[in-house]
Amino acid sequence: MATANMLVINPLAEAVPDPGGKCPATEQPVEIGLVKAVLEGDREGFGRLYHLYAPLVHGILLARVPRTEVDDLVQDIFLHAFKKLHMLRDSAAFGPWIAMIARNRAVDYYRRSRETVEITDEVRGTDKQESKAAEILELIRGLPEAYRETLVLRLVEGMTGPEIAARTGLTAASVRVNLHRGMKLLREKLTLTEGV
Amino acid sequence: MNDDYLWDKSGEPDPQIQQLEEILGTLRYQPKPLKLPARRNYLPLLAIAATLVIALLAVALWLQTRKQVASIPAVAIAKPADPIIGPPLSVSTSPPQKVRPRVTKTDRQEALAAKQQLMFALRLASEKLNAAHRRTQDKRSSYENTLPN
Repeated sequence: MATANMLVINPLAEAVPDPGGKCPATEQPVEIGLVKAVLEGDREGFGRLYHLYAPLVHGILLARVPRTEVDDLVQDIFLHAFKKLHMLRDSAAFGPWIAMIARNRAVDYYRRSRETVEITDEVRGTDKQESKAAEILELIRGLPEAYRETLVLRLVEGMTGPEIAARTGLTAASVRVNLHRGMKLLREKLTLTEGV
Repeated sequence: MNDDYLWDKSGEPDPQIQQLEEILGTLRYQPKPLKLPARRNYLPLLAIAATLVIALLAVALWLQTRKQVASIPAVAIAKPADPIIGPPLSVSTSPPQKVRPRVTKTDRQEALAAKQQLMFALRLASEKLNAAHRRTQDKRSSYENTLPN
């Protein structure tokens, strides 16, 4: 069985520090200690990084690729990050680093498939709530790239603006502007949709 | 529009944003276990590499020993009984054995002829000595007979 040769890290079983928080002992971002621990062989430490950053990666992918592909891509991206972690120069920049990997992987996805992915009923979801969610997500995906990622992280993943800024490496001002302008465009689209 | 709520969920909640959060929240990330590949065990590879190194060293040692044996002069091995060179060299651990010289048939015939010549010469010398002795005896007796009583 495939899992026999694998270490399965269950994020639900992990005691995880607050996202973007600081280690109480060293007053450093928790990512620095976790990255260092993983590089020294602590594989469980990577589980904590996974738990911290999986929602970010999930949101970035959800803003770009079909929903059915997102979960597998999240796994792939974290496996890739685990193998290439030694190439990360600044441990505190783990968030921006894995966000960049996720964006590049989304680009690769379309480059490889080279086909337009249509949203089927299955993708839209079975129940009414999910179907409505899929429709709104499509509206967000129609927004400029700078806005859609920030909006998905805020509205889907439930992150606050400061959390988005801390994890993606963007400035707080940029995130605030993106949220404001993106929300304005989304409201306009929603009004148009409801009017039709 | 309440920007504070959109920014950090503080202040008065915006109903439309709350509704969007509720609907889109169904697409939120659901925690899943991460499957990391197992750490690779390098022990078997190390064991194979060590075995190969030991085998190579053994072969190199054997070749060197063989080369040294081959460099010994062939005469010493071909004629181990040569009294001038000495006892034969041997790589075996058994004690050295006395090697008897090999005598050919011709050598034996020559040696026999030489022996016969020597015996003939000795016999001839013996006969001459006997003859001389008899002559001496005869002269003495004739002299005694001639002496006056």
